[in-house]
Amino acid sequence: ENSPAPLPERAIYGFALFLGSWFGFILYLIWAYIPEAWLFSLGLTYWPQKYWAVALPVYLLVAVGIGYILLFGINMMSTAPLNSTHTITDNYAKKQQQKKFQEEAIPALRDIPISEVNRMFFLPEK
Amino acid sequence: MAEERRFRSASGAPIALRRRQHSASCRELAVRGPRLQLRSLSAATSAVWLAAYGLFALSENSMVLSAAILITLIGLIIYLHFVKIDQESLLVIGSLGIQVTSSYASGKESTTFIEMGRVKDVVINEAIHMQKVIYYLCILLQDPEDPQGVSEVVPLFQSSKPRLDCLIEVYKSCQEILEQRKTAPQSS
Repeated sequence: ENSPAPLPERAIYGFALFLGSWFGFILYLIWAYIPEAWLFSLGLTYWPQKYWAVALPVYLLVAVGIGYILLFGINMMSTAPLNSTHTITDNYAKKQQQKKFQEEAIPALRDIPISEVNRMFFLPEK
Repeated sequence: MAEERRFRSASGAPIALRRRQHSASCRELAVRGPRLQLRSLSAATSAVWLAAYGLFALSENSMVLSAAILITLIGLIIYLHFVKIDQESLLVIGSLGIQVTSSYASGKESTTFIEMGRVKDVVINEAIHMQKVIYYLCILLQDPEDPQGVSEVVPLFQSSKPRLDCLIEVYKSCQEILEQRKTAPQSS
């Protein structure tokens, strides 16, 4: 039911969006470039100030540039500090159930405590 | 008996690990970082004084020069007393606790003692720190009422940041002492 295949409805939506975006772009060009006097003489007086024809794209581009830096900063802020227990465990690991060990079966998946992992890695078995 | 081995810190600076065994259940591990280099000190001082001289040339105000000298002196004192850690040491006493000491370049020492009842384990943990993944040694603390859970994590050797080979040495030494806890009779 949710396949990405092309369908007639999707073709119609796509074409409507294509026409709509071309119409919006031509309208923006008309608003930005044609002098106000000519538009007034046609009777079209209720336009936003032409200042916004330059301001809005600039706002958008600055927002995109700041977005890169903002995302970087948010990532750094949400990284757990070195002294937090979130680097060791979390709620799922604390509440996990210990499944019984069965012979000849693959052991169940579980979160191994960090002390055990350390012993396995760094203390050589004699 | 004491032995000293050379290692590298995470940023490549040379550090030295000194291990001393005071008794069967007491060990001291000290990591010493490089001392303040003359070349970095002169570089910083020259940079500040050149900038001040440039400002003086622009503004003709001689207070800029005196201010630069004061800033350099006070900045150096603050750096030596609060920022530059020369040696970080770990003293593990089997039945008593763990003592962590940081010695600053000005001679100041700051000490923290954690009693053995609160120590769950000493482990090497990996975590993300400033766009890198680093290994660091840390003490896991437990609540006396809840011995299964980790209540707090105390990272060690934060300013000298030894690499994994040094950390493994420290880890093995600490584990030898901590293992004696299980075999020794518990006294609450």
